Amino acid sequence: MSEQPKSVESQGLLGWIDARFPLSKMMREHLSEYYAPKNFNFWYFFGSLALLVLVIQILTGIFLTMHYKPDAELAFASVEHIMRDVNWGWLLRYMHSTGASFFFIVVYLHMFRGLMYGSFKSPRELIWILGMLIYVALMAEAFMGYLLPWGNMSYWGAQVIINLFNTIPVFGEAISEWLRGDFVISDATLNRFFALHVIAVPLALLGLIVAHILALHEVGSNNPDGVEIKKLKDENGVPLDGIPFHPYYTVKDIFGVVVFLAIFSGVVFFWPEASGYFLEHANFEPANPLNTPDHIAPIWYFTPFYTVLRAIPNPFGGFLMMCLAIIVLFFLPWIDRNPIKSIRYRSLLFKLNLWVFVITFIILGYLGLKPVTDLYSQLALRFTQIYFIFFFVLWAYSKPRSSGFWTGSFIVLLGSIILYDFFRSSGVDDPSILALTWWTLLIPAAYLFLTLLMPKLSNWDTEKEVPERVTS
Amino acid sequence: MKILNKLILLLTLFFSATGIAWSAGGGSSDLDKHVGKVHIQLSNNASLQRGAKYFTNYCLSCHSAEHSRYKRVASDLGIPEDKMIENLIFTGKKFGDLMTVAMKREDAQKWFLGVAPPDLSTHTRVIGPQAVYEFLMTFYIDDSRPFGVNNLYLNNTAMPHVLADLQGLQRGEFHMEADANGIEHKEFSQFELIQPGSLSEDEYKQVVTDIVNFLVYLSEPARLVRAKVGTGVLLFLAFFGVIAYFLKKNYWQDVH
Repeated sequence: MSEQPKSVESQGLLGWIDARFPLSKMMREHLSEYYAPKNFNFWYFFGSLALLVLVIQILTGIFLTMHYKPDAELAFASVEHIMRDVNWGWLLRYMHSTGASFFFIVVYLHMFRGLMYGSFKSPRELIWILGMLIYVALMAEAFMGYLLPWGNMSYWGAQVIINLFNTIPVFGEAISEWLRGDFVISDATLNRFFALHVIAVPLALLGLIVAHILALHEVGSNNPDGVEIKKLKDENGVPLDGIPFHPYYTVKDIFGVVVFLAIFSGVVFFWPEASGYFLEHANFEPANPLNTPDHIAPIWYFTPFYTVLRAIPNPFGGFLMMCLAIIVLFFLPWIDRNPIKSIRYRSLLFKLNLWVFVITFIILGYLGLKPVTDLYSQLALRFTQIYFIFFFVLWAYSKPRSSGFWTGSFIVLLGSIILYDFFRSSGVDDPSILALTWWTLLIPAAYLFLTLLMPKLSNWDTEKEVPERVTS
Repeated sequence: MKILNKLILLLTLFFSATGIAWSAGGGSSDLDKHVGKVHIQLSNNASLQRGAKYFTNYCLSCHSAEHSRYKRVASDLGIPEDKMIENLIFTGKKFGDLMTVAMKREDAQKWFLGVAPPDLSTHTRVIGPQAVYEFLMTFYIDDSRPFGVNNLYLNNTAMPHVLADLQGLQRGEFHMEADANGIEHKEFSQFELIQPGSLSEDEYKQVVTDIVNFLVYLSEPARLVRAKVGTGVLLFLAFFGVIAYFLKKNYWQDVH
């Protein structure tokens, strides 16, 4: 009943296997006869690189678990044992710790690629959602892994993050107690985090990644032109602009892997602490509930969201906004509804908006690393406002809008920001804080002017014709 | 190569971002104006060996290095087993033992004003070499303290000046200075040597540098080898990268 394979019937051992397991069929479907657009550029390396980092993390992780002891009395010493007494233990540990940071670097660039080329748009919404689930699982994985060395920053970082759940009304205390398995961060917490970090989350991650790739191979890859290559096929049903993933992209990705590994090795061997950004200095002393580090900052890949949390004075409000900052990303396919996928053919304003978003994300990340000052807390709020308005602008750019729409939304958004400023500065007497409040208002005001009034005042919203076939 | 350009741009962005973050975060004490900066030289094996000797003689009776083994230190620094046992191991410990101290934690807390001396295995990685250097350089006479000395880096430290017989004892001179808000603070001016030790100032600086050098090694023994291994790995990757590049180019000839 099933479809006859196109290629020659396999023989020998492979034939024996193929009669019992779809090995050749899978190789064809996912590699040698999976047609990928021929115009992938630099940004398309990061998918395969993410897979590479996953493999690095799993392999080094397996060897680390052979020597690590998930016990509050022994954990710190066992990590130092790995660093000193285990053959090449230091290399395993640095690869794993550097791998965690590189996982996020690669994943952030991978997600940014999706934003630029509209890879989340129909028919790829599910790929994006699965990807977002991977991202969230990765954050959980990284957070729980960070507790395991049982250093002082592990302890206090986990303390701060778990206490966030305390802000939830009524159930907060119960939830954080349930997460910790104790009234404080303790051996019980360490044990369960170990179990989750080593078994539960990796299993979920693997499943999600397989689903992510299967969904991708079902609909086919997007490309820098945002053109659907499956629309134009030759007489054999092969997309005109497609080339087999294997060998073309396997050899290309090998080159990407080598370049990546060179950078990765540069950090692992010459700069493993990355000046305290990959391995924080305070984490080289054991967890001590009586000694709070001078400055508790989450590890860099969480700091943009940490800044959103701190930007809102109300703790539960901050917690909700932080969650919202992540949740909103899930809905991207239904926010940006512009039929043009690639940034190449979108308007100048779309490009500006996207780059402002990138800069905003970096600034939010930077602010999250720094202690709160008057200036920084104002900036945190301003860039948090831009972070969220970005999505509104993205939605607004989905189709041509009337002049009234632009004026109206400009007035409503700027008005609400000013209203909130009046509300939060009532009762503030310090003239320097008031000055900061009103001066930094220029930041969202300028952003709103650029994104919401320029479509009226300029032709920067002109979009380009999308070609029939991929270019270059 | 467009890819290479993008890569360079990306790397520049990445490193400038961390550079900005780093320069904004660094530098809290200005004691280096008075005592200078420490120069860490892990390639100087003689300095590391001297540092190990001072460390075991002066520090290890109260401070432990409980994650480190004598044997590992000996083999890393090229100290023969008999020399190590004779000159650096005092407490009847075995060559393969961890560098722990006999003092009980509770006793230590009683003797040292409630603070047990911190374990020094990784401590230098927490506070940084310059901090250790400044701490060991800036003990001064203060009769109000239980051990008769205070410290500029760590005010009201519970640690006695164990290196006093080498450095001698110095008196600190202070003056009052108003800060930006017009509030007066006691500011350090200079040290005056009251009772000379067995070493000159330069000799003492060298001793402290040796100790700090050793502590940097002790907090991360892998530092002695990782750059060497890394260079090999990068050379291999460079070689493999050339092959991978031409392999890709060759396969892609027929893609137009």
